[in-house]
Amino acid sequence: MFFRSFGLLLLAAAAQASILTLKSPRFVVSDSIGTQLRAEPISLEHRTASPVKLGGRDTLKLTFQVVEKEDGKGVQPHQTFLRFYDEVTGEEGIQPIRVASNGKAKFDLNPSKPPLSLPPTPKTASGEVNPLQLTLLIGSPEHEPLSIRLFDLVLPPSQPAPVHPDEIKFHLQEELFHTFRPDQKVPNKFISLVFSGIALAPWVVLLGLWSQVAPAPTNLLSPFILPFILSLGAFETLLFTYWVKLKLFDVLLYGAGLGLVTIFTGRQALASISAQRKD
Amino acid sequence: MAGTKQSPATASQNPLLSLWKAYNDQTPDRLKFIDAFLFFLMLSGIIQFAYCVLVTTYPYNAFLSGFGSTVGQFVLAASLRSQVNPQNREEFKNVSPERAFADFALGSIVLHFFVYNFLG
Repeated sequence: MFFRSFGLLLLAAAAQASILTLKSPRFVVSDSIGTQLRAEPISLEHRTASPVKLGGRDTLKLTFQVVEKEDGKGVQPHQTFLRFYDEVTGEEGIQPIRVASNGKAKFDLNPSKPPLSLPPTPKTASGEVNPLQLTLLIGSPEHEPLSIRLFDLVLPPSQPAPVHPDEIKFHLQEELFHTFRPDQKVPNKFISLVFSGIALAPWVVLLGLWSQVAPAPTNLLSPFILPFILSLGAFETLLFTYWVKLKLFDVLLYGAGLGLVTIFTGRQALASISAQRKD
Repeated sequence: MAGTKQSPATASQNPLLSLWKAYNDQTPDRLKFIDAFLFFLMLSGIIQFAYCVLVTTYPYNAFLSGFGSTVGQFVLAASLRSQVNPQNREEFKNVSPERAFADFALGSIVLHFFVYNFLG
């Protein structure tokens, strides 16, 4: 299927491709009251040397006839476009041109009423306006395509393009920096040491006072009381170890076990003390 | 804190001195033992608070747990003292000194658990 249609296409191209050309193409620049400022035929071989300059109130008129090269018969091609291209900015506009059935075509360009397809022609830094390259593009299924560089066109400067209100948001924004509170500092070593000493001083007071008033410990080492003291000490050691390295659930597990032991030893110790007191 | 307010006959002396003297003479050693501990806790708490105000709060959790432990321990010790005081026996008929000490030990262990937990 593919090869068949491809072969058909080749055949059609060989049989029907004939060449189009333009007959008597010319342009006229006239001012607002109709005086012709410049009128030249367009050469298909040599591009018009000097660019065509158009004032704000001037009119450019372009006329040509599309004909077959062999017999000079007028042809109405399927597609006829005039392409405006700004080489510097890369902007382009395609303007379709109406061609009569005898191949004759006429295009008027009035800068005071510009067609929508006309690309913007802003003023450059030097105050000039970049020339637009004009190309005529003709396409027809029965003919070879045609592309003709006509001439360069210098238009009056266009208004600057309006700035969209959101336009500013589509640029690189200022970088965001997170600010943090400065790190808190440990006071210098001397002050730390002095206050460590002061904070430990109450221990001296405590031990001094206790040495004065401590009641003589009675039978602390008795087999009833010592286990309670030891299990209380074990509890404090467990909690200290928790601070240093243990995890919470480890402590809860060990603490539960130790708690049972402590309850038992505590009952025993306190019961023995209570019995002694009542004697 | 009963038992310290009895005014001696020598009223001509400085009342503070006489108060101190009465305390020394009439308080049992066991209560003085607890009082010494209470005094220690008070001093320790004051010093920690002064450090926090004057120098820095920097390890704030350390300050909170340290200060909290002194306050909590003070409360526990004070209640122990009031319960074992022989002059308060009428108030705490159902609480033997052993029971009071068991409460104190249990409360202290729970308090220390929270303190170490908070110390970080």
